[in-house]
Amino acid sequence: MLTLTLHTRPDVPLELDGVTPDRLLKLAATDIARLPVAHGNRTVELGAFFAVTGDASDGDVRIVGDCSRVKLIGAGMTAGRLTVEGDAGWHAGAKMTGGTLTVKGDAADWVGAEMTGGAITVRGSAGHQCGAAYRGSRHGMRGGTIVVHKSCGDEAALLMRRGLIAVGGEVGRAAGASMIAGTLVALGGVGRDCGAGLKRGTIVVGGPDPVWPPGVRFSCEYAPAYLGVLAKELAALGFPSLDVSGVKVRCHRGDVLHGGHGELLHLTPLQTR
Amino acid sequence: MHLRGTEIVDTFAEAFPMTAARVVVTAVNSKWAHVAAVAATGYAASVIGCDAEAGVEAELSPADTPDGRPGVALLFFAFSRDVLQKALVNRVGQCILTCATTACFNGLPVTDRSVRVGGNLRYFGDGHQISKMHGVRRFWRVPTMDGEFLCEDLFGTVKGVAGGNLILLGTSQAAALEAAERTVAACLTVPGVIAPFPGGVVRSGSKVGSKYKTLKASVNEAYCPTLRGAVPHTELPDGVNAVYEVVLDGVDLAAVGEAMRRGIYAAAGPGVVRITAGNYGGKLGPHHLHLHELLGPVPPC
Repeated sequence: MLTLTLHTRPDVPLELDGVTPDRLLKLAATDIARLPVAHGNRTVELGAFFAVTGDASDGDVRIVGDCSRVKLIGAGMTAGRLTVEGDAGWHAGAKMTGGTLTVKGDAADWVGAEMTGGAITVRGSAGHQCGAAYRGSRHGMRGGTIVVHKSCGDEAALLMRRGLIAVGGEVGRAAGASMIAGTLVALGGVGRDCGAGLKRGTIVVGGPDPVWPPGVRFSCEYAPAYLGVLAKELAALGFPSLDVSGVKVRCHRGDVLHGGHGELLHLTPLQTR
Repeated sequence: MHLRGTEIVDTFAEAFPMTAARVVVTAVNSKWAHVAAVAATGYAASVIGCDAEAGVEAELSPADTPDGRPGVALLFFAFSRDVLQKALVNRVGQCILTCATTACFNGLPVTDRSVRVGGNLRYFGDGHQISKMHGVRRFWRVPTMDGEFLCEDLFGTVKGVAGGNLILLGTSQAAALEAAERTVAACLTVPGVIAPFPGGVVRSGSKVGSKYKTLKASVNEAYCPTLRGAVPHTELPDGVNAVYEVVLDGVDLAAVGEAMRRGIYAAAGPGVVRITAGNYGGKLGPHHLHLHELLGPVPPC
């Protein structure tokens, strides 16, 4: 295992673009310490901020320290395991295609943005645009899983195309806006405009009655067998398990202004084990 | 060889490869899971006259099913993947999709030898079906009048073994049937094994061919007690008045062999004169399950 220990907190954002387990596999610790990283508008060596110890050949990398000002942790990683023993800055796991990223603290905005594979776990909260599309992009997350144990900011799953985002707490405004497919779970409830522009895909919402956008229509109350499959997958991902057996599911369809093939399931009362 | 007074004939069951799939059916409760299971595995005794051989493999608790509801594991066998896919699509479509509250899942690893079931049944949704990907598994959610039918897209297949069998020669119909029931119960304790005939027990004892050219199989008169006095050759020793056969299919040869071994031990005893097995002289299938080899050394009575 390779350990990167933050010894100097950056005063402006530091970007770890390209410092991923799959790319460090064949590098010695001394070479890793010399890797160029962007610090504000300057390029510095990684070792200027991190003490590098251990061996990266097993594909297991650990980052220790408050990295809330460190951007792009695990961005674009394709394989391996990356663990952040604290907070992570913007774009953590963005455009990931494989491997696992675990943030034991909070993650800032754009975590898992436009990722296509792999698994991200945030033990704390995530910022805005979790799994979302970057401005101007046609698709957000296109595969993989993002699990956020606490809350999440606005525009989670914006333009999501495939994959699973599960949030244990509340999700901010415009959750799942313009989703094309995939699954968003928000056990603690959602803010306004959840599912606005939804084309297809599934949004599962717990908590208080959401204020649905005008294009969302109530369909029925029922017990979808699919929720059982989802609950088991979430449990396997270490997410608080849903007790779907005791849940009333209110099914809505929308956004009718965009075809109306999306589904929005409101669970009441939500019971967690 | 004798076991608890029952003669074990030195012969073998002749088994042959068949493509197998495991289907896990779940429902709101075990009653409805069984309703679907019984319907889906109906008319599936033998590929002589059915599109597939099928049966209930095991009851599954909610903890063992993909959606956390009570379920039943079913096994289906057919001569090829194409035939199996057609049979599964028809049977799942007509008997499980239509059954209240059910869902249907694959129970074997998906490989390049898989068959597409949910992916064919999704069209029933007429454009309202929903696809959900979980890892590499795709599920189809088809709207129904009670909610939705959830079905996995692909079902894995394995090269299974069919034609394992035991023939029990009893002193009376009651004794033979009781022994057959014991045998079926013992055989089905082996995972991956089904007994596709009604109750797992066969009374028809068919042989290949017939005096009527259109028939592929007909009665095996050598094992019919009522014909003992009418045919030149009989396989029934004195004192035998009823015969039942237990036919077994399994996901592999070891499972079928173990099921037969347990079946012999369960069947042997008072009221059962002889236990033998059906074969075609080694011309039908590559797998020969010799009864004496299955039993191993039998302790003296």
